[in-house]
Amino acid sequence: MPLHGPEPVRLALHAMATRFELVMYGGGAADLRAAGEEALQEIRRLEAQLSSYLPNSEVSRINRAACRRPVPVSRRVFQLIQHAAALSAHTQGAFDITVAPLMRCWGFVKGKGHWPDSAALSRARTVTGMEHLVLHEKQGALSFRKAGMSIDLGGIGKGYAIDEAALILRECGVNCALLHGGTSTITTIGAPPGAGSWRVALPVPGKLADHQAPPLAVVDLKDEALSVSAPWGKAFEKDGQTCGHVIDPRTGFPAEGAEMAAVVHESATTADALSTALLVTKPEARARACQNFNKLRVLVAYGPKRVYADGITIHVPTQTIHHHV
Amino acid sequence: MISRRDFLKTGSAAASLLGLSHAVEIRPDPSLVRARPSSAADVNIGLIGYGPRGREIASTLGRVPGARLVAICDSYPTMLRRAQRDIPEASRHGDYRELLNNADIQAVVVATPTHLHKDIVTDALEAGKNVYCEAPMASSIEDARAIASAARAVADELIFQVGQQNRSNPQHRSVFQFIRSGAIGRPAMARAQSHSRESWRRTSPNAQRVQAINWRLDPEVSLGLVGEYGIHQMDVAYWVLGALPVAVTGFGQIMAWEDGRQVPDTVQAVFEFPSGMHMMFDATLASSFDDVYEAYYGTDSTILFRDRGKAWMFKEVDAPMLGWEVYARKDKFYKETGIALLANATQLDAQNQDPTEDDPNVETPLWYALNEFMDNHEFGPYLPAADYQRGLEATAIAVVANKAIVQGTRLEIDPALYTLE
Repeated sequence: MPLHGPEPVRLALHAMATRFELVMYGGGAADLRAAGEEALQEIRRLEAQLSSYLPNSEVSRINRAACRRPVPVSRRVFQLIQHAAALSAHTQGAFDITVAPLMRCWGFVKGKGHWPDSAALSRARTVTGMEHLVLHEKQGALSFRKAGMSIDLGGIGKGYAIDEAALILRECGVNCALLHGGTSTITTIGAPPGAGSWRVALPVPGKLADHQAPPLAVVDLKDEALSVSAPWGKAFEKDGQTCGHVIDPRTGFPAEGAEMAAVVHESATTADALSTALLVTKPEARARACQNFNKLRVLVAYGPKRVYADGITIHVPTQTIHHHV
Repeated sequence: MISRRDFLKTGSAAASLLGLSHAVEIRPDPSLVRARPSSAADVNIGLIGYGPRGREIASTLGRVPGARLVAICDSYPTMLRRAQRDIPEASRHGDYRELLNNADIQAVVVATPTHLHKDIVTDALEAGKNVYCEAPMASSIEDARAIASAARAVADELIFQVGQQNRSNPQHRSVFQFIRSGAIGRPAMARAQSHSRESWRRTSPNAQRVQAINWRLDPEVSLGLVGEYGIHQMDVAYWVLGALPVAVTGFGQIMAWEDGRQVPDTVQAVFEFPSGMHMMFDATLASSFDDVYEAYYGTDSTILFRDRGKAWMFKEVDAPMLGWEVYARKDKFYKETGIALLANATQLDAQNQDPTEDDPNVETPLWYALNEFMDNHEFGPYLPAADYQRGLEATAIAVVANKAIVQGTRLEIDPALYTLE
């Protein structure tokens, strides 16, 4: 049955240490809610499989045992990790799910971070890298080549959950919806009534709390996903330098350069991973990291005056803009 | 919803030391989980029904040793497209008979709407397949008897297991022994609740499909909340109490979802046991507060099950000392504080795991049930813990309870409903 109508139906869910919100337009409120419940239920199911914080999750089981033996995982988790490996290769290692030991070393897993002990840092660096993760395709199992490794799907899991939930919404006949997780990863189905697209504002880095400040850009989305990454939030200062919680898996040190990266792509999974990767990618390496993805739109803010945008229109005047549309 | 963890946080600030009952967490002995030899040949499995439950089963089977999901059946093409994406190597079928005609498939798992189980299960047994059938086993007494009779007739050659999964769960088995050994004193009463906030409605762009998937809201075939959610709690109740209920009084209301439905979204039932003990059950789709749990109240202590079979014991201050509680972990539930017991603490310690932390290797009840089904292929066939008889009993309880709820009355449960001639 067609789902059209002016009144939106809204649902929310706490999962993956964040709040997911869903807004849908259509005709039958009961049907929209039914579709939304099924979609959000899928996110909850995926959390139970993917969360590093839940001791019984598949990811936690991998982290506990994969250095001793191949750990069998469900088919979908295996496929997601294969996808993560491909994303890692495409981004020259800027996106890497094995970065967890480095995150722990820098104190970003449970705290605000601290400068690490140099011996611990070099140990963590030796167990980081996708080449140490073995995917046993025939058995559907994973193993680690090195003791002390662990994986974290935090940079991709939310996007994946959003994609899977959106697929359910579409299967249920929903043709107008926006779903986001923690406002940083968003996907859209169709466009809201009377509009050509969903419009999402990107804040100027550093002015997140200032709701009066004009946005850096407004992104139009229709059947597309947007993910925004920034090293804000967890950070500490060392010698006047701010060390944010995004660690470059290749150097073992906090990302230098980008203050915010936004990626628009048809897949929220890809957008989620790529926005994280672009934060640790140097401007000169950016084109190479993006070349394997079709229909990508990108905005990277390297500083208040240095914003690169491709396919996204910048609203706030900046002095140095590399603007490719 | 207040999680247990939230309760614990609040409780640690609010707890006082006087006049509190003692909670003891009870853990299973890991030796109860038998290891299957790694040489065991894989069992080819067909899954019938690829809705949310079917998908959960498919995902779990991927982690059960010896299980190989080779075919998936669903009558709705969208679900088969999903199956192709999730498990590309499994063949896909719109008609379950195609699975049954495949000689390479040894076992089927039935996860269709409850009222469709009977034809599928009896056909599968006739085709010589081992069967795992989701709970409730059936939505009517007649169907339950037909399934049970068919399973009994071939019990020497084929496996038939019902998805009353807590019977396979080591956590539940451990507490079962505990209650049966008299640790709660004389059982006085019990209660179970199942609270969630969801409409129970499902939708699809296909009108015919909408009708089919909303079977839980169809009063002709639905066993309501007591059947679809309460079945697992009532199953544990009559298992640990060692007696089947003899009567049930029920009430049902539509309190939250006034969308034209007839199946109540909020229900209460009181079950009477032969000892005179009563058990209260309530379920609602209006509120998620305090989630799902069961409590068994005895003269010496109360045992609380929640979070997939975790259990705590709240001792009366004048109850006899059991010994082990001295070493047990202390958990707090708001103003109740107590001692947690780890039945396998020494094993955890030997494995370098913190014996006061939850065992991280615990699997879901569904995993244990499917693992037991696989064990039966290796060592059986023998009657599983959740066999056709348990399926018949639980279905009878659910059918009569749902009737009592719909009619708002007290109904006796004829003991003949629990047995096959």
